[in-house]
Amino acid sequence: MSGEDTRQANCRNPIDAAVLADYWLGVLAEAEEATVEEHLIGCDWCGDRLREVMALAGGLRNLAREGSLRMVVSETFLDRAREEGLRVRQYSPPAGGGVQCTVTAEDDLVIGRLTANLRGAKRIDLSICDGQGVEQLRLPDIPVDSGAGSVIYQESITFLKAAPTSTMKIRLVTFDEAGGERLLGEYTFNHTRSLPGPGAW
Amino acid sequence: MRQIGRGSGREAEAELCRRMAPRIRLYGLRHLRDEHASDDLTQQVLITTLEALRAGRLREPEKLASFVLGTCRMTVLNLRRGAQRKERLLEQFGADLPISVQPTIPHLDHDHLARCVQNLKERERTVVVMTFYDEQTGADVASFLGVSEANVRVIRHRAIHQLRKCMGVAE
Repeated sequence: MSGEDTRQANCRNPIDAAVLADYWLGVLAEAEEATVEEHLIGCDWCGDRLREVMALAGGLRNLAREGSLRMVVSETFLDRAREEGLRVRQYSPPAGGGVQCTVTAEDDLVIGRLTANLRGAKRIDLSICDGQGVEQLRLPDIPVDSGAGSVIYQESITFLKAAPTSTMKIRLVTFDEAGGERLLGEYTFNHTRSLPGPGAW
Repeated sequence: MRQIGRGSGREAEAELCRRMAPRIRLYGLRHLRDEHASDDLTQQVLITTLEALRAGRLREPEKLASFVLGTCRMTVLNLRRGAQRKERLLEQFGADLPISVQPTIPHLDHDHLARCVQNLKERERTVVVMTFYDEQTGADVASFLGVSEANVRVIRHRAIHQLRKCMGVAE
Protein backbone atom coordinates (compact mmCIF):
# COMPACT_ATOMS: atom_id res chain seq x y z
CA MET A 1 0.00 0.00 0.00
CA SER A 2 1.43 3.40 -0.96
CA GLY A 3 1.62 6.25 1.52
CA GLU A 4 -1.28 7.95 -0.22
CA ASP A 5 -3.40 4.79 -0.12
CA THR A 6 -2.64 4.38 3.58
CA ARG A 7 -3.70 7.96 4.23
CA GLN A 8 -6.93 7.42 2.31
CA ALA A 9 -7.62 4.14 4.11
CA ASN A 10 -7.10 5.86 7.48
CA CYS A 11 -9.79 8.44 6.72
CA ARG A 12 -13.19 7.05 7.65
CA ASN A 13 -15.22 10.14 6.87
CA PRO A 14 -13.59 12.22 4.11
CA ILE A 15 -14.70 15.83 3.85
CA ASP A 16 -16.20 16.83 0.52
CA ALA A 17 -13.74 18.86 -1.57
CA ALA A 18 -16.30 21.64 -2.03
CA VAL A 19 -16.68 21.89 1.76
CA LEU A 20 -12.88 22.08 2.03
CA ALA A 21 -13.04 24.94 -0.48
CA ASP A 22 -15.66 26.67 1.68
CA TYR A 23 -13.38 26.15 4.67
CA TRP A 24 -10.46 27.71 2.78
CA LEU A 25 -12.68 30.64 1.78
CA GLY A 26 -13.83 31.10 5.38
CA VAL A 27 -17.52 30.87 4.53
CA LEU A 28 -18.50 27.95 6.76
CA ALA A 29 -20.66 28.50 9.82
CA GLU A 30 -18.67 28.46 13.07
CA ALA A 31 -19.83 25.01 14.16
CA GLU A 32 -19.14 23.46 10.76
CA GLU A 33 -15.70 25.08 10.62
CA ALA A 34 -14.88 23.65 14.05
CA THR A 35 -15.93 20.16 12.88
CA VAL A 36 -13.76 20.45 9.77
CA GLU A 37 -10.75 21.57 11.83
CA GLU A 38 -11.15 18.74 14.32
CA HIS A 39 -11.06 16.34 11.38
CA LEU A 40 -8.12 18.02 9.62
CA ILE A 41 -5.90 18.02 12.71
CA GLY A 42 -6.04 14.23 12.63
CA CYS A 43 -6.34 13.41 8.93
CA ASP A 44 -3.50 13.70 6.42
CA TRP A 45 -5.68 12.49 3.54
CA CYS A 46 -8.09 15.41 3.86
CA GLY A 47 -5.10 17.69 4.48
CA ASP A 48 -3.69 16.59 1.12
CA ARG A 49 -7.03 17.30 -0.52
CA LEU A 50 -7.19 20.72 1.14
CA ARG A 51 -3.77 21.46 -0.41
CA GLU A 52 -5.23 20.51 -3.80
CA VAL A 53 -8.10 22.94 -3.21
CA MET A 54 -5.59 25.64 -2.22
CA ALA A 55 -3.68 24.98 -5.44
CA LEU A 56 -6.92 25.29 -7.39
CA ALA A 57 -7.74 28.56 -5.63
CA GLY A 58 -4.27 29.89 -6.46
CA GLY A 59 -4.59 28.79 -10.08
CA LEU A 60 -7.96 30.53 -10.41
CA ARG A 61 -6.53 33.74 -8.96
CA ASN A 62 -3.64 33.62 -11.42
CA LEU A 63 -6.00 33.03 -14.36
CA ALA A 64 -8.15 35.96 -13.28
CA ARG A 65 -5.10 38.23 -12.97
CA GLU A 66 -3.85 37.22 -16.41
CA GLY A 67 -7.08 38.31 -18.08
CA SER A 68 -6.98 35.31 -20.37
CA LEU A 69 -10.51 34.10 -19.64
CA ARG A 70 -13.48 35.12 -21.79
CA MET A 71 -16.14 35.92 -19.27
CA VAL A 72 -18.61 38.38 -17.82
CA VAL A 73 -17.24 40.18 -14.77
CA SER A 74 -18.59 42.56 -12.17
CA GLU A 75 -17.71 46.14 -11.32
CA THR A 76 -16.29 44.86 -8.03
CA PHE A 77 -13.98 42.53 -9.93
CA LEU A 78 -12.61 45.49 -11.92
CA ASP A 79 -12.19 47.58 -8.77
CA ARG A 80 -10.16 44.78 -7.20
CA ALA A 81 -8.04 44.42 -10.33
CA ARG A 82 -7.22 48.15 -10.30
CA GLU A 83 -6.41 47.99 -6.60
CA GLU A 84 -3.95 45.22 -7.41
CA GLY A 85 -2.29 47.53 -9.91
CA LEU A 86 -3.57 45.77 -13.03
CA ARG A 87 -4.02 47.99 -16.07
CA VAL A 88 -7.57 47.76 -17.37
CA ARG A 89 -8.29 48.89 -20.94
CA GLN A 90 -11.98 49.56 -21.53
CA TYR A 91 -14.15 50.30 -24.56
CA SER A 92 -17.80 51.28 -24.47
CA PRO A 93 -19.27 51.22 -27.98
CA PRO A 94 -22.91 52.31 -28.22
CA ALA A 95 -25.49 49.65 -29.06
CA GLY A 96 -25.61 49.43 -32.85
CA GLY A 97 -22.30 51.28 -33.14
CA GLY A 98 -18.62 50.58 -33.15
CA VAL A 99 -15.32 51.60 -31.65
CA GLN A 100 -11.67 51.65 -32.74
CA CYS A 101 -9.64 49.61 -30.33
CA THR A 102 -6.25 48.06 -29.67
CA VAL A 103 -4.23 46.40 -26.95
CA THR A 104 -0.70 47.20 -25.81
CA ALA A 105 1.96 45.18 -24.04
CA GLU A 106 1.25 47.08 -20.81
CA ASP A 107 -2.45 46.13 -20.66
CA ASP A 108 -3.57 43.39 -18.28
CA LEU A 109 -7.33 43.23 -18.85
CA VAL A 110 -9.48 44.28 -21.81
CA ILE A 111 -13.11 45.09 -21.13
CA GLY A 112 -16.07 45.84 -23.37
CA ARG A 113 -18.97 47.64 -21.70
CA LEU A 114 -22.08 46.63 -23.58
CA THR A 115 -24.97 48.94 -22.77
CA ALA A 116 -28.46 47.54 -23.29
CA ASN A 117 -31.90 47.46 -21.77
CA LEU A 118 -31.71 44.16 -19.88
CA ARG A 119 -34.94 44.53 -17.91
CA GLY A 120 -37.21 41.53 -18.04
CA ALA A 121 -34.70 39.36 -19.91
CA LYS A 122 -34.76 35.91 -18.31
CA ARG A 123 -31.81 34.60 -20.30
CA ILE A 124 -29.16 36.50 -22.20
CA ASP A 125 -26.57 34.98 -24.52
CA LEU A 126 -23.40 36.75 -25.62
CA SER A 127 -22.53 35.92 -29.21
CA ILE A 128 -19.05 36.62 -30.58
CA CYS A 129 -19.02 37.05 -34.36
CA ASP A 130 -16.46 37.83 -37.02
CA GLY A 131 -16.55 41.02 -39.08
CA GLN A 132 -19.21 39.54 -41.40
CA GLY A 133 -21.48 38.77 -38.46
CA VAL A 134 -20.92 35.01 -38.53
CA GLU A 135 -21.02 33.60 -35.02
CA GLN A 136 -17.71 32.13 -33.85
CA LEU A 137 -18.50 31.49 -30.20
CA ARG A 138 -21.49 31.81 -27.89
CA LEU A 139 -21.53 32.28 -24.12
CA PRO A 140 -25.01 31.05 -23.21
CA ASP A 141 -27.02 32.35 -20.25
CA ILE A 142 -24.48 34.88 -19.04
CA PRO A 143 -24.78 36.27 -15.51
CA VAL A 144 -26.10 39.82 -15.61
CA ASP A 145 -27.23 42.40 -13.14
CA SER A 146 -30.49 43.41 -14.81
CA GLY A 147 -30.52 46.67 -12.88
CA ALA A 148 -27.10 47.74 -14.14
CA GLY A 149 -28.13 48.34 -17.76
CA SER A 150 -24.90 46.96 -19.16
CA VAL A 151 -22.81 43.82 -19.42
CA ILE A 152 -19.10 43.99 -18.57
CA TYR A 153 -17.43 41.52 -20.91
CA GLN A 154 -13.78 40.56 -20.54
CA GLU A 155 -12.16 39.43 -23.78
CA SER A 156 -9.10 37.20 -23.51
CA ILE A 157 -6.05 39.46 -23.58
CA THR A 158 -3.93 36.51 -24.67
CA PHE A 159 -6.14 36.21 -27.75
CA LEU A 160 -6.12 39.95 -28.45
CA LYS A 161 -2.36 40.30 -28.09
CA ALA A 162 -1.96 37.62 -30.75
CA ALA A 163 -4.80 38.83 -32.99
CA PRO A 164 -4.14 40.62 -36.30
CA THR A 165 -5.98 43.79 -37.25
CA SER A 166 -9.59 42.62 -37.58
CA THR A 167 -13.22 43.32 -36.72
CA MET A 168 -15.21 41.55 -34.05
CA LYS A 169 -18.93 41.96 -33.52
CA ILE A 170 -20.51 41.10 -30.19
CA ARG A 171 -24.24 40.62 -29.84
CA LEU A 172 -26.39 40.39 -26.76
CA VAL A 173 -29.51 38.35 -27.45
CA THR A 174 -32.46 37.28 -25.36
CA PHE A 175 -35.37 34.94 -26.09
CA ASP A 176 -39.11 35.46 -26.32
CA GLU A 177 -41.76 33.11 -24.91
CA ALA A 178 -41.71 31.00 -28.07
CA GLY A 179 -37.92 30.60 -27.88
CA GLY A 180 -37.18 33.01 -30.71
CA GLU A 181 -34.06 35.16 -30.46
CA ARG A 182 -34.36 38.89 -29.92
CA LEU A 183 -31.37 41.19 -30.38
CA LEU A 184 -30.66 43.45 -27.40
CA GLY A 185 -27.63 45.12 -28.94
CA GLU A 186 -24.79 44.68 -31.40
CA TYR A 187 -21.35 46.18 -30.78
CA THR A 188 -18.51 46.39 -33.29
CA PHE A 189 -14.89 46.35 -32.20
CA ASN A 190 -12.45 47.41 -34.93
CA HIS A 191 -9.21 46.05 -33.56
CA THR A 192 -5.94 47.49 -34.81
CA ARG A 193 -2.88 45.49 -33.97
CA SER A 194 -0.28 47.67 -32.26
CA LEU A 195 2.07 44.93 -31.09
CA PRO A 196 4.78 43.53 -33.38
CA GLY A 197 3.85 40.23 -34.95
CA PRO A 198 2.13 38.60 -37.92
CA GLY A 199 -0.56 40.58 -39.74
CA ALA A 200 -2.88 37.60 -40.07
CA TRP A 201 -3.69 34.33 -38.29
CA MET B 1 3.92 10.25 24.22
CA ARG B 2 5.04 8.19 27.18
CA GLN B 3 8.61 8.20 25.88
CA ILE B 4 8.52 11.98 25.58
CA GLY B 5 7.01 12.24 29.06
CA ARG B 6 9.89 10.17 30.46
CA GLY B 7 12.36 12.50 28.80
CA SER B 8 13.83 9.70 26.67
CA GLY B 9 11.98 10.20 23.44
CA ARG B 10 14.08 12.14 21.00
CA GLU B 11 12.85 9.95 18.13
CA ALA B 12 9.29 10.08 19.42
CA GLU B 13 9.47 13.86 19.47
CA ALA B 14 10.74 13.89 15.91
CA GLU B 15 7.89 11.59 14.85
CA LEU B 16 5.32 13.79 16.59
CA CYS B 17 6.68 16.87 14.82
CA ARG B 18 6.78 15.06 11.47
CA ARG B 19 3.11 14.10 11.81
CA MET B 20 1.66 17.24 13.31
CA ALA B 21 3.68 20.00 11.62
CA PRO B 22 1.90 19.79 8.21
CA ARG B 23 -1.50 19.80 9.90
CA ILE B 24 -0.64 22.81 12.08
CA ARG B 25 0.77 24.63 9.08
CA LEU B 26 -2.47 24.10 7.13
CA TYR B 27 -4.38 25.60 10.05
CA GLY B 28 -2.00 28.54 9.95
CA LEU B 29 -2.35 29.05 6.21
CA ARG B 30 -6.11 29.09 6.54
CA HIS B 31 -6.21 31.58 9.39
CA LEU B 32 -3.10 33.69 8.86
CA ARG B 33 -2.90 33.59 5.03
CA ASP B 34 0.87 33.88 5.22
CA GLU B 35 3.52 31.17 4.82
CA HIS B 36 6.05 32.68 7.21
CA ALA B 37 3.44 33.35 9.88
CA SER B 38 2.23 29.74 9.42
CA ASP B 39 5.77 28.47 9.91
CA ASP B 40 6.02 30.54 13.09
CA LEU B 41 2.70 29.17 14.28
CA THR B 42 3.84 25.61 13.58
CA GLN B 43 7.00 26.13 15.57
CA GLN B 44 5.20 27.72 18.50
CA VAL B 45 2.48 25.07 18.68
CA LEU B 46 5.01 22.23 18.49
CA ILE B 47 7.10 23.81 21.22
CA THR B 48 4.04 24.26 23.46
CA THR B 49 3.00 20.65 22.81
CA LEU B 50 6.46 19.25 23.56
CA GLU B 51 6.64 21.44 26.64
CA ALA B 52 3.36 19.95 27.89
CA LEU B 53 4.46 16.40 27.09
CA ARG B 54 7.85 16.77 28.74
CA ALA B 55 6.24 18.25 31.83
CA GLY B 56 3.76 15.36 31.97
CA ARG B 57 0.75 17.64 31.57
CA LEU B 58 -0.47 15.69 28.55
CA ARG B 59 -0.55 11.92 29.13
CA GLU B 60 -3.52 10.56 27.18
CA PRO B 61 -2.80 9.96 23.47
CA GLU B 62 -6.42 10.49 22.44
CA LYS B 63 -6.25 14.05 23.75
CA LEU B 64 -3.20 15.01 21.71
CA ALA B 65 -5.11 16.19 18.60
CA SER B 66 -7.50 18.28 20.71
CA PHE B 67 -4.58 19.79 22.60
CA VAL B 68 -2.78 20.70 19.37
CA LEU B 69 -5.92 22.19 17.82
CA GLY B 70 -6.69 24.15 20.97
CA THR B 71 -3.12 25.43 21.03
CA CYS B 72 -3.40 26.43 17.36
CA ARG B 73 -6.52 28.45 18.12
CA MET B 74 -5.01 30.14 21.17
CA THR B 75 -1.75 30.89 19.39
CA VAL B 76 -3.50 32.46 16.40
CA LEU B 77 -5.53 34.61 18.79
CA ASN B 78 -2.33 35.61 20.57
CA LEU B 79 -0.59 36.35 17.28
CA ARG B 80 -3.48 38.55 16.28
CA ARG B 81 -3.35 40.34 19.62
CA GLY B 82 0.34 40.86 19.10
CA ALA B 83 1.26 38.92 22.23
CA GLN B 84 4.55 37.17 21.54
CA ARG B 85 5.74 34.26 23.62
CA LYS B 86 7.88 33.27 20.69
CA GLU B 87 11.16 34.77 21.83
CA ARG B 88 11.07 33.11 25.26
CA LEU B 89 9.90 29.73 23.95
CA LEU B 90 12.42 29.66 21.13
CA GLU B 91 15.18 30.47 23.59
CA GLN B 92 14.07 27.60 25.81
CA PHE B 93 13.21 24.93 23.21
CA GLY B 94 14.18 26.17 19.76
CA ALA B 95 17.52 24.38 19.49
CA ASP B 96 15.91 21.04 20.35
CA LEU B 97 13.01 21.31 17.90
CA PRO B 98 13.27 18.55 15.31
CA ILE B 99 13.23 19.84 11.76
CA SER B 100 10.16 18.67 9.87
CA VAL B 101 9.64 18.42 6.14
CA GLN B 102 6.52 20.28 5.01
CA PRO B 103 4.42 19.01 2.13
CA THR B 104 4.19 21.58 -0.60
CA ILE B 105 1.10 22.83 -2.36
CA PRO B 106 0.69 20.64 -5.48
CA HIS B 107 1.48 22.14 -8.87
CA LEU B 108 -1.41 22.51 -11.31
CA ASP B 109 -0.98 22.58 -15.09
CA HIS B 110 -1.89 26.21 -15.82
CA ASP B 111 -3.05 25.70 -19.43
CA HIS B 112 -5.07 22.64 -18.50
CA LEU B 113 -6.78 24.60 -15.71
CA ALA B 114 -7.52 27.46 -18.12
CA ARG B 115 -9.25 25.01 -20.50
CA CYS B 116 -11.21 23.47 -17.62
CA VAL B 117 -12.35 26.90 -16.39
CA GLN B 118 -13.31 27.98 -19.90
CA ASN B 119 -15.42 24.81 -20.23
CA LEU B 120 -17.54 25.67 -17.20
CA LYS B 121 -20.96 27.18 -17.69
CA GLU B 122 -20.93 30.98 -17.66
CA ARG B 123 -22.43 31.33 -14.19
CA GLU B 124 -20.13 28.70 -12.74
CA ARG B 125 -17.07 30.42 -14.22
CA THR B 126 -18.14 33.80 -12.90
CA VAL B 127 -18.87 32.40 -9.45
CA VAL B 128 -15.53 30.60 -9.03
CA VAL B 129 -13.45 33.44 -10.45
CA MET B 130 -15.22 36.11 -8.43
CA THR B 131 -15.07 33.97 -5.32
CA PHE B 132 -11.43 32.90 -5.49
CA TYR B 133 -9.97 36.05 -7.04
CA ASP B 134 -11.83 38.60 -4.98
CA GLU B 135 -12.51 36.27 -2.06
CA GLN B 136 -15.95 37.86 -2.30
CA THR B 137 -18.64 36.74 0.07
CA GLY B 138 -21.56 34.65 -1.10
CA ALA B 139 -23.75 37.72 -0.55
CA ASP B 140 -21.70 39.85 -2.99
CA VAL B 141 -21.75 37.18 -5.67
CA ALA B 142 -25.45 36.47 -5.06
CA SER B 143 -26.23 40.14 -5.46
CA PHE B 144 -24.36 40.32 -8.78
CA LEU B 145 -26.02 37.18 -10.14
CA GLY B 146 -29.46 37.99 -8.78
CA VAL B 147 -29.74 34.64 -7.01
CA SER B 148 -29.76 33.51 -3.38
CA GLU B 149 -26.59 32.82 -1.36
CA ALA B 150 -27.67 29.19 -1.10
CA ASN B 151 -27.83 29.06 -4.88
CA VAL B 152 -24.34 30.55 -5.15
CA ARG B 153 -23.07 27.81 -2.83
CA VAL B 154 -24.67 25.15 -5.01
CA ILE B 155 -23.13 26.68 -8.16
CA ARG B 156 -19.71 26.99 -6.46
CA HIS B 157 -19.77 23.39 -5.22
CA ARG B 158 -20.77 22.07 -8.64
CA ALA B 159 -18.01 24.09 -10.32
CA ILE B 160 -15.35 22.88 -7.87
CA HIS B 161 -16.33 19.25 -8.43
CA GLN B 162 -16.23 19.77 -12.21
CA LEU B 163 -12.86 21.48 -12.08
CA ARG B 164 -11.37 18.71 -9.93
CA LYS B 165 -12.77 16.10 -12.27
CA CYS B 166 -11.44 17.96 -15.31
CA MET B 167 -8.02 18.30 -13.63
CA GLY B 168 -8.00 14.59 -12.81
CA VAL B 169 -7.90 14.98 -9.02
CA ALA B 170 -11.50 14.08 -8.18
CA GLU B 171 -11.83 11.29 -5.64
